[in-house]
Amino acid sequence: VSVTTTLAVFTVLVTTYFLAYNLSQIAMAGVAGRLLWRYQRRRSPRNLALVGRLAAPPFVSIVVPAHNEALTIVDSIRALLSLEYEAREIVVVNDGSEDDTLAILKEAFELVEAPVAFEQPLKSAPVRGAYRSLVEPAVVVIDKVNGGSKADAANAGINAASGRLVLLIDADTMLEPDALSRAAMPFLESQDTVAVGGYVAIANGCRIEDSRVTDVGMPRSWLARFQIVEYMRSFLLFRLACASPNGVALISGAFGLFQRAALIDVGGYDGTAIGEDMDLTLRLQAYYRERKRPIRIAHVPLPVCWTQAPEDRSSLRAQRCRWRRGLLQVLWRHRRMIGNPRYGIIGMGVLPYIAIFEGLGPLIELLGYVVTTVAFSLGMLDWQHYRVMLAASILFGAATTLVSVFLSDVSTRKYTRLRDLGLIVASAILENAGYRQLNSWWGCVGTVQAMVGKIGWGPMTRKAF
Amino acid sequence: MNHLAAIFERHALLVVAVAWAFAAAMIVAVVIERITVAAHEAWLRCLTTHYTPLLRLALAGDPGARATLRRSHRWHRLTIARMILMPLIKDRDPARIAEARALVDALSLVPFAERLLGSPWWWRRAMALRALGAMQSANHTRAIVAALDDSNEDVRNTALDALADLQDPASLPAIVVRLHDTSLHRARRGAVLAAFGAKCEPFLLDLAVVDPEHRLNYALALGICGTAEARSILCEWSRDIRAEVRAAAMQALSRVGVDPWSVPFAVAALEDRHAIVRAMAATALQGYADRDTAASLARHLDDKWAVAVRAARSLRSMEAAGRAELEARATRDDLPALLARQMLWNEKAAR
Repeated sequence: VSVTTTLAVFTVLVTTYFLAYNLSQIAMAGVAGRLLWRYQRRRSPRNLALVGRLAAPPFVSIVVPAHNEALTIVDSIRALLSLEYEAREIVVVNDGSEDDTLAILKEAFELVEAPVAFEQPLKSAPVRGAYRSLVEPAVVVIDKVNGGSKADAANAGINAASGRLVLLIDADTMLEPDALSRAAMPFLESQDTVAVGGYVAIANGCRIEDSRVTDVGMPRSWLARFQIVEYMRSFLLFRLACASPNGVALISGAFGLFQRAALIDVGGYDGTAIGEDMDLTLRLQAYYRERKRPIRIAHVPLPVCWTQAPEDRSSLRAQRCRWRRGLLQVLWRHRRMIGNPRYGIIGMGVLPYIAIFEGLGPLIELLGYVVTTVAFSLGMLDWQHYRVMLAASILFGAATTLVSVFLSDVSTRKYTRLRDLGLIVASAILENAGYRQLNSWWGCVGTVQAMVGKIGWGPMTRKAF
Repeated sequence: MNHLAAIFERHALLVVAVAWAFAAAMIVAVVIERITVAAHEAWLRCLTTHYTPLLRLALAGDPGARATLRRSHRWHRLTIARMILMPLIKDRDPARIAEARALVDALSLVPFAERLLGSPWWWRRAMALRALGAMQSANHTRAIVAALDDSNEDVRNTALDALADLQDPASLPAIVVRLHDTSLHRARRGAVLAAFGAKCEPFLLDLAVVDPEHRLNYALALGICGTAEARSILCEWSRDIRAEVRAAAMQALSRVGVDPWSVPFAVAALEDRHAIVRAMAATALQGYADRDTAASLARHLDDKWAVAVRAARSLRSMEAAGRAELEARATRDDLPALLARQMLWNEKAAR
């Protein structure tokens, strides 16, 4: 009797959790759809032209932390130089690369060692030297001792930045030509804007020329295809829904435009944080809300940049375990914000949601699979019930992903070929039969790693474009 | 609990049915959206191919092409209007705008825009405002100014953009009065002032005298469109009790440029107790090549970083007088010395 009761309790809990999750996803789809519709209506070429009509558009320092990026760094910087935004400088931080990153930069941009003075309000490993380009005056290279994290390099770059706004990207991030103009708009519209994030799309399968995505297509790898629909779901449902009530909790490390002064106020990136981007966003939210200062963190719902997703299982596993460790660490560090009305929507809505559905999600999901399978194999659950639960789980998962596919198609229509659209729809359905479960498993592995105190990034195979 | 589990089991099939329907509906939505968009894009391509050569001829004044365009189907008119007006966002050549306006008039597209101005949908009102502004339709200045009071925020801001494009001096009093309207984006308020340039200045100076409460906004505005006429009032404001006003006055002075009369005000502001005022005063002194002024600025290379950087930049702009101070400072082994060396290096690289 006790086993049967326990199983019944478990079934009720898991089903409630599952229903709540799916209902929340549907609600988010509604909010995101409304916001996207409004964004589309407001987006006109005349609006984007505003930056060019200003007497003094905000000067942006693009900080590019580079550690062993010899394969892609020159193309990346050339692409940044051709952005449709004139008031910008590019601060490349060579973070103690062991490959030829610095030598290649010196040759490509005719760098010479030059005096570059800047205060160092943020802590970082020692700077060895600074270089200016004789051919591209907008390029500054800071050469520093490796600080062991991207955060350390980014902090050095923020120190050296002379712009009012700082764009933090990864060295392999490929920006859309109008990404900066679009991301700068929220700063022009409201003085309360402290940071702006954007939709980071996956470049695997796309044609890349000179670090620019020139033709969007689906990759051959199913792992990469699943990640494409996963990113759509993440950036077009959850983050957009959070942005609607000013509750952005994460600006991706691949693309974030910040007020430099705000970054200095919160002490920049924390080198000890595994999920340094979420940690920074939450510290910004906490800093301003604790001081009752107005804060707006906006999210650009169109792809502003493209990044390379891991296609091999070991890289993906390492990435997901790291994300999981990062999430748990950030939730633990900011636990005082969870359920705290002082932090507004972040404290009362977004963080509790993240804690329940992202923090506990993989554990509950995996436990659900294990328990129902065991109960079924022991004859305690009938085949009909097992089948129904599995079908509902897969179908709801597919449906919410298809909402984001729909929103993505309506707003950007990047995947123009019918074959690609078919593959996206297929991926949205198939990812629920294996990939999501694998992710949950990696989430559990990451949880265990977090508990035993594992740190570091793990391996990531980088390809030249 | 068992009872609850039984309820869940009873409704499980309903949940699956809902999930099925939801997933299927989304696939159908994606397919329908694709078909609709593909058809619309094909239609637009077809219209563009058909009308591009005609528009080119019509803009060049060809009466035959104009007559053909006038006979075009009314469903094509919106696309034709877009094709005429979109290039004007980047190309603000007055002759090009006049040609486009004449063509839009000839095609009777203006009444269409006027109808859109009264639309209950905000995006249509915004679209009409953008069109009227782009073609500088001065007959519609009053309607565009009235849209500054629209109930929708996006329409109000679009009206401001339209007035910036329109550049009708008759709209200036309404624009300057709305300088303090925080429901309008600050950048847009700045852009419209930049579009009119010095024409705004007399209005700003008149209002500033009777409205000291908003002095900060007037100082910021003069920082965008001020001329030498504003120098004396800016110097007066450099003694305002509010630090932000003093800083904005110095910032505006940096745009206007200093003369021997106003330099003492800027030099005095260099000793202000607020760093932001000192920083703006240092910027205001750029380009004023005078040895005593350079010496005053050089003392601030050891000031707070924001002040030091601006002082260094101004010294760099002071030719021999500034260079001498930078060279004297560059020999030491500290951050201000490095800053001085950077300015000297920049100067050398620029040459």
